[in-house]
Amino acid sequence: MTQEENGLRPEEFGEAAEAAITDALGQPEEAHAGVLAAAGLLGICAPEDDGGMALPLAFAVPVVQAGGRLRLRYALAEQIVLARHLPEAALRAALADGSRSASIAWQGRRGDAWVGPARRADRCDWLLLRSAQGDGAALVDLAGAPRELDPSLDPEEPAAWLDLSQAPVLAELDAASAAALWHDLDILLAASAHGAAGGALQAAVEHTGTRVQFGAPLSTRQAVRHWLARMKLFHEASGAAIAHALRAEPADRAARTALALNLQHAAFIIEKAMHLHGGMGFTWELPLHRALRSVRALDAACGAGALARQLGQDFINAQEAA
Amino acid sequence: MPHDFDPVAYRRHAHDWLASHLPAHMRADSPDYRTPTLQESSDWEAAMHAAGLAGMTWPQAYGGHGLDLRAHLIVNQEIGKLLMPDSVGSIGKELAGPIIMAVGTEAQKQGFLAPILSMREFWCQGFSEPDAGSDLARLRTKAVPEGEQWRINGQKIWTSGAAKAHYCLLLARTGTVADRHRGLLMFAVPMDTPGIRVVPIKSIDGKDSFAEVFFDDVVVPDSARLGAPDEGWAAALKVLGIERATNRMYRPWRFESELRFLVRALRSDPVLARQLEDGGVQRRVGELLAEIDGLKGLVERSVAQILQGQSVGARGSLTKLFWSECHQSFASFALSQVGQVGPQSSPLAQRARKFFTQTYLFSRAETIYAGTSEVQLDLIAQRILQLPREH
Repeated sequence: MTQEENGLRPEEFGEAAEAAITDALGQPEEAHAGVLAAAGLLGICAPEDDGGMALPLAFAVPVVQAGGRLRLRYALAEQIVLARHLPEAALRAALADGSRSASIAWQGRRGDAWVGPARRADRCDWLLLRSAQGDGAALVDLAGAPRELDPSLDPEEPAAWLDLSQAPVLAELDAASAAALWHDLDILLAASAHGAAGGALQAAVEHTGTRVQFGAPLSTRQAVRHWLARMKLFHEASGAAIAHALRAEPADRAARTALALNLQHAAFIIEKAMHLHGGMGFTWELPLHRALRSVRALDAACGAGALARQLGQDFINAQEAA
Repeated sequence: MPHDFDPVAYRRHAHDWLASHLPAHMRADSPDYRTPTLQESSDWEAAMHAAGLAGMTWPQAYGGHGLDLRAHLIVNQEIGKLLMPDSVGSIGKELAGPIIMAVGTEAQKQGFLAPILSMREFWCQGFSEPDAGSDLARLRTKAVPEGEQWRINGQKIWTSGAAKAHYCLLLARTGTVADRHRGLLMFAVPMDTPGIRVVPIKSIDGKDSFAEVFFDDVVVPDSARLGAPDEGWAAALKVLGIERATNRMYRPWRFESELRFLVRALRSDPVLARQLEDGGVQRRVGELLAEIDGLKGLVERSVAQILQGQSVGARGSLTKLFWSECHQSFASFALSQVGQVGPQSSPLAQRARKFFTQTYLFSRAETIYAGTSEVQLDLIAQRILQLPREH
């Protein structure tokens, strides 16, 4: 019996997540993990024996989208996939109950001088990174690990680079387990960007619907309407790519294309939302700049351009093999 | 839908049948390709229907196979994986047929539907007029009742396949232009009726694929009328809403096949293959794949919504607009990649140059037909975003 047959629908989890995240955002940052864990969000895909809800990944998508839309400063996607895929029950349980926090490094391998960037790695206990060789991955303890912060893109959430040469290994994932984790992470990071873009689009629709210039709301003007419609088009296509990835076989490219499309479109949507807010969109008075920084940081961490190039290269090579 | 429907077996049947029956000279990615004749295309589509791969969702009583949109999607996915010719009977299958099913009399259903699927009769679409392109409410073609007959006068334009069509799905008005969307009436007009004149229009790709059609005192019996005044047009709007989301559903999969053909063709030539080592080209291919997967998601979502009984409404505009703009951009990219193909190039590369040149030229129409990009943006703004009325 599927979860939907059991009466559970992913969209409903989005609504519950929105309420829990709103609650968390009203509290000090150090309380966020506890609030999110209490609502079941961190362990939504973790095994029930580890305190999780053991739901399919589709249920985590609206949760992470809500986090992106509400600009939650927490590595929610990373924590959810690690709570699902780490090999040790105790580690999974600690992430599901929020007593530990973890992030994932997109670039670098064990043994490299510096590893990163990783979202919120300066505030996390653990970090997952690629093994020194092969396609596996390792979870290391960040306590005492030297780190260098780069605040140039986001002074509130600086990108963290870490020296992990002395960091103890807590767990290792073989290639198959790591592939399953990267697949889920691609989809959830796509969902995070999609949520951030959705929030910006909604703000732009509301602003241009009430801001009166030359005697009428801005969104009654065709030039503005067409920008908003195009933003909506890209947002819907990006969301559809996520849905397609959830239906596709895990070995399919669809999770990676969903991430590539969402990163590309989210940046466009947020940038246009800022533009449609006029001068206010450019200031710290509105939170749009935070959404843009978070998506651009994700873009930098994932290397969206490199991701697209790799997708193209893989496709080209597959045709050669055929 | 039969409850023993097995989607896996059905997909295998569709895939195997298409792969084993499509002649090499009808595969656009084969060096043996030549433009099929109308008879060859017609025979091919009739064979597809006989194999259960056309008219999937039509009732069995009218020559269909009594399946639902899941089967339609599966067949379209498999059709898209091969570079086969576009249907020469699509107006009948995707527009006239569904409208007749919605508003036609039983005699009209019995008379018109089965020949559409068996490719014995072709249809053309008589909606657009010189002064009524995107804005159909301005159409002027007039139908006047005369006893048990109707007298029709007017002019249609951009009528695809008019020269080969047996019937025209004609939209006319019973009142005046001031009535806008009121009083519109739909007819099934035999194209050999006296007073009909077809003047081909040569398009950018060199083909006479559409035409102007003149109706000068064309008299048809009342039995040619599809529904009551307003009823036929209301049904057409409903059908168009669904069709915009579901017709040519194979497009994302065909798009991917075209990209695959481009890469294979370049790979087949040692000089051209070097273009694929360029990081910018690799990145563009990756971006196209991301767009293709987004399109697949839009199509799959429309199918899921219709199966759940939801209205797709203006959401069909999302699929049409995203596909047309992405594909048009791809066609420009593909043309740039085959620019260096010459007599010294591999046969596959030479085939690709012809194919992608035609693809590029025809793609210029993609953001115009079936509602321009600007019309689609207006629909998204008004009906999906529900913005305040335009100033």
